[in-house]
Amino acid sequence: MTLRFIHASDLHIGRKFANIPQPEDGNIRGRLMEARHGAIARLTEVAQSRDAGHVLLAGDTFDTATPSPAVIRQALAAMGEAGGVTWWLLPGNHDNLRDAEPLWEAIRRDAPANVVALTEADPQPLGDVATLLPAPVAFRAGASDPTEPLVRMESEAGRMRVGLAHGGVTDFTGSGEAIAPDRDRSARLDYLALGDWHGRLPVSDRVHYCGSPEQDRFKHGRRGVCLAVTLEGPGAPPQVEEVETGAFLWTERPLALHPRQDAAQALATILPETGRRDVLLRVRANGWAGLSDQADLRHAADRVAPDFAHFELLTDELGTQYDAGDLDEIDRAGALRLAAESLQEAAQSETLSHQDRQVAGDALARLYAYVREDAQ
Amino acid sequence: MKLRAITVNNVRRFTDPVAIDAIDDGLNLLCAPNEHGKSTLFDAIQALFFKPHGSRDKEVTALRPHAGGSPEVSVTVETEAGRFTLFKRWLGKAAATVHRDGTLIAQADEAEAWIAELLGGDGGGPSGLIWVRQGMTELTGGTTKEQKLALEARRDLMTSVGEEVEQMTGGRRMDMALARCRAELDDLATGKNRNPRKGGPWRAALDRVETLTERRDSLAATAEALHAALAERKRARRDLHAWEAPEAVEERRARLEAAEAAHTAAKRHAEDVAAEAQKLQTARLTAETARTRLNTLRETLAEHDEAARLLAAAEQEAAQARATAETARAARDAAEGDLATAQEDLTEAETQRAAALRAQAARDGADRRRALTARIAEAEKTRSAMEDAAAAARQGPDDTALRRLETLATAHATTKAAREATATQVIARYAPGQDGAISLGDRALPEGTATALPRATQLTIAGIGTLEVRPGEGQHDDTSVEAAAQALRNALESLDVETLEAARAAGETRVAAEHRAGEARAVLASLAPDGIDQLRAALAAIPQPEDRAEAPDPEAAEQALSAARQAFDAARIAHQTAADHFADARNDATRSDTALTSLQDRLARAETARARLGDSAEETLAAELHQAETALRAAETRHADKARGAPDPASTEAALNRATSVERNAREEITRLKPLLARLDERIGRSSGEAVEERLEETRQELEIAEAALARIAHEKDVLIRLEAALEAARTEARERYFSPIARELKPLLHLLWPEAELTWGDSSLLPDALVRDGREEPITILSGGTQEQVALLVRLAFARLLAATGRTAPVILDDALVFTDDDRIERMFDALHRQAGDLQIIVLSCRQRAFRGLGGNSLHLTPVPAAKAAE
Repeated sequence: MTLRFIHASDLHIGRKFANIPQPEDGNIRGRLMEARHGAIARLTEVAQSRDAGHVLLAGDTFDTATPSPAVIRQALAAMGEAGGVTWWLLPGNHDNLRDAEPLWEAIRRDAPANVVALTEADPQPLGDVATLLPAPVAFRAGASDPTEPLVRMESEAGRMRVGLAHGGVTDFTGSGEAIAPDRDRSARLDYLALGDWHGRLPVSDRVHYCGSPEQDRFKHGRRGVCLAVTLEGPGAPPQVEEVETGAFLWTERPLALHPRQDAAQALATILPETGRRDVLLRVRANGWAGLSDQADLRHAADRVAPDFAHFELLTDELGTQYDAGDLDEIDRAGALRLAAESLQEAAQSETLSHQDRQVAGDALARLYAYVREDAQ
Repeated sequence: MKLRAITVNNVRRFTDPVAIDAIDDGLNLLCAPNEHGKSTLFDAIQALFFKPHGSRDKEVTALRPHAGGSPEVSVTVETEAGRFTLFKRWLGKAAATVHRDGTLIAQADEAEAWIAELLGGDGGGPSGLIWVRQGMTELTGGTTKEQKLALEARRDLMTSVGEEVEQMTGGRRMDMALARCRAELDDLATGKNRNPRKGGPWRAALDRVETLTERRDSLAATAEALHAALAERKRARRDLHAWEAPEAVEERRARLEAAEAAHTAAKRHAEDVAAEAQKLQTARLTAETARTRLNTLRETLAEHDEAARLLAAAEQEAAQARATAETARAARDAAEGDLATAQEDLTEAETQRAAALRAQAARDGADRRRALTARIAEAEKTRSAMEDAAAAARQGPDDTALRRLETLATAHATTKAAREATATQVIARYAPGQDGAISLGDRALPEGTATALPRATQLTIAGIGTLEVRPGEGQHDDTSVEAAAQALRNALESLDVETLEAARAAGETRVAAEHRAGEARAVLASLAPDGIDQLRAALAAIPQPEDRAEAPDPEAAEQALSAARQAFDAARIAHQTAADHFADARNDATRSDTALTSLQDRLARAETARARLGDSAEETLAAELHQAETALRAAETRHADKARGAPDPASTEAALNRATSVERNAREEITRLKPLLARLDERIGRSSGEAVEERLEETRQELEIAEAALARIAHEKDVLIRLEAALEAARTEARERYFSPIARELKPLLHLLWPEAELTWGDSSLLPDALVRDGREEPITILSGGTQEQVALLVRLAFARLLAATGRTAPVILDDALVFTDDDRIERMFDALHRQAGDLQIIVLSCRQRAFRGLGGNSLHLTPVPAAKAAE
């Protein structure tokens, strides 16, 4: 009695990534969209390679309640092409039952035979060895633990019980309600497959977040994965294998700077050497740097940015260390020097607001840039 | 940097090498006539420092002599690093070298860079600031064109000063920074208020955010509508299912049928109850009628009996009242008789009292007559005495006449005494035994007494004869004495007295009579204040006494009258009481008669009513009533039995209405819900097909980026505004900061020429734009040429000191810088040059040999360079 299945969630198919700046000569948004659709094929490959007959999608398969017909139809078609694999689609908060009713109607109407919409909290047989206990999400923001019905949900004796749910074990949304972390025990589950958390997170031996197979944020710092799960029988501990499926790496890296450090060189040391085209990188500079170092850093960032699928340099946390050399570079004396000194004083003022200090500091940096560019 | 030596070769007129050596630290003067090459030297130095050796521009070619060749200039300078020789050759075999102590340390471009560094970096240097090239020779001389050129040269001079100030306050880089800042700002914003520029990125970002916000709101509204439609469809489906479910349909049908049956049965039962109620009502009416007839009979009989009883009592009472009234009438009449008798007694008593009073009055009259008669007699006697005294008082002189008489007597005596005092006097001294022998008239002259002889007098001397004494002329006037005597005599005669003493006695008699008359007049006034005639009239008014033998006693008559009055009052009260009793009794009798009449009517009415009831017997009517009440109780029992347990038709009707309305509502709801569902299906299908949520999410993300972009641009705008403000403020502050040391440097120099003078500076031009002397501000442009060049030179000297203070010491080279300055001013300018030469190297080139003799300083000379040395 062995059950093998793939646990995945949060595909967010149809996401447009319109919040990612797209250069006029680039197509990062299209690539990211396509990568999300491509996750279906990669999950299929993983399932087939692991001899898993089921792919359990724990909610948020689609990014919105009303994806375009093309997004739906093409996703369903891709799933339909996965030979020997049954797709179990659970409504999550993004594609919840209430708001996404037309979506689920469309899926029920148009889905191929190997795609099952779990729009009811009714047990479903997983082959002849297990019962799937789904907990579909009814509302975008619920106020109760969606897995609570699993406790009373019946299953045929002798079969393994696999729960499928979407929501936070910890209170991610601040709704005040969360899935009980010991739901596997209270509902007598052999495995509880959870979605909603985009990063991979084991809660306990039997309770797992698989994370999104294709990342969409800098938070988790690794490519997306799915879980290949093997259950040897009722009560047996599940064997969980993480399988990387992400096409893009979203990563954020800190860049700690200090005065008189070669900022460009420091940046270079934290950049990945290879595969940059498929990396979305956010560099969060912190510490202190002089005006020239900051100019060098920006220059280096501008130079390296086109290597990446997306590159952004955040300098909010980077303080400006002013020294006489910077100001001398603007002018050793005279009106320009006076202007630079007044801006420096404002930027370092303890009485001005953060906004005013920021403006003054940027104005000084701009003056520095003018003079430096003029000199060049 | 200080210049130590200059050598030129193949420069204009210097086709052979010439040099100036031994240039000192302080003031140096090269004084030579025109055409001796001073300006050539100036241009050569200028070219060495500022013209690259590869240059072939007109200024370089202008250095070449007519005969051609390559101009060469060599300058030895001394800096803190040592002594260097700079050399340049232009045009043919161009070269630039820098030697130190004979060792080449740089050549060609490196040498050029070395020289530029020596001058203080990029551009500028001391040339424009403190080197003065030769200007025009004379302001008033030359052609119009020459004068114009001279004017422009001065303007250039001032402008160059301004440019240097500008350089110190930021210069070109400040201009560049401000220009770039403003240009970038102008791309974003426009106008004084920095509003977004139309077509600019800020406006575009705002528009983008606005557009996306509108789109997001619109899509959100659509999504919201979709959610609402989904919810409504869910409700509609649930409702339709509830209405159309077979069990629901069957339940509604059964409920309606049951309600209809129940309501029909209830209506039928209600009709039966109504019939019984009608019968009950009839029985009630029958019993009520029987009861009424019996009661009426009983009441009529009772009334008749009561009326008869009351009438009998009333008749008795009326007879009693009439008897009482008659008795009262008799009593009243008796009282009236008593009252008349008392009236008569009272009248008689009053008559008696009047007679008594009249008798008393007659007695009083007789007493008064006697008294008056006596009084009249006394009065007449007194009047007679008074009249006698008055007559006596009219005799003799009165007081006035007496006083006049006394006055006349005094006047006579006085006059007479005065006459005698002035008259001739004789005094007789008798011999013994001769006394009285001398007589005057009949009177002997007294012994030893002076006797006046006022007129001629004849004295008789006994025994001797007479002696006539005649007073002197003027001593014989006795007129006044005679007049006084005559007046006195006349007065006595008028009073009919002979002497004054008689007159006085008559006067006293008169006064005594007057006193008597006064006393008698007073007595008379008390006796008859209104005159004796009035007393006589009063006497006549007293009536004569009646002749009555008897008169009643007044006191007894008064007592009798009082008694009669009391008796009359008692009789009157008794009469009034009797009259009142009679009136009351008569009224009682009248009331009794009235009551009697009323009861007679009542009895008549009762008899009439009884007659109307006919012959019905009370027992008969009582039997009829009993029968009717028995029938009523039976009807009540039947009605109660029927009504008990009857269904409520209102309730059954309400139940029927409800069942009917439920069925109707079901039909209406089904009719409404089916098309509604169709519409909702269509709407939901359309919205979901348009991927509204997907587009909404996309728009939200785009808006997020647009808002971030807008924030960046707004920040950029703020940064540029801040930078512009900082640059402008700094430039203003720099002007003030830099003008301050210039002004400080200038102050003592200016004061050498004009005590208390100041310069003002233009905000935009950074030029000295006015000279303030004696409180008057004079624009530089209207000053004389001499004053302008003096100001310009002083400003340059001040800048040179400022430059030196910054470590950029450079020589001040002045080529005919003072061409318009008069002799007086030039002396003070020399003082100024010497003052600054304390820590500056100043090289003055001038053609004004005589004028500059007084300058002093180190004299420089152009000397040919030996060929051998030149070859080195």
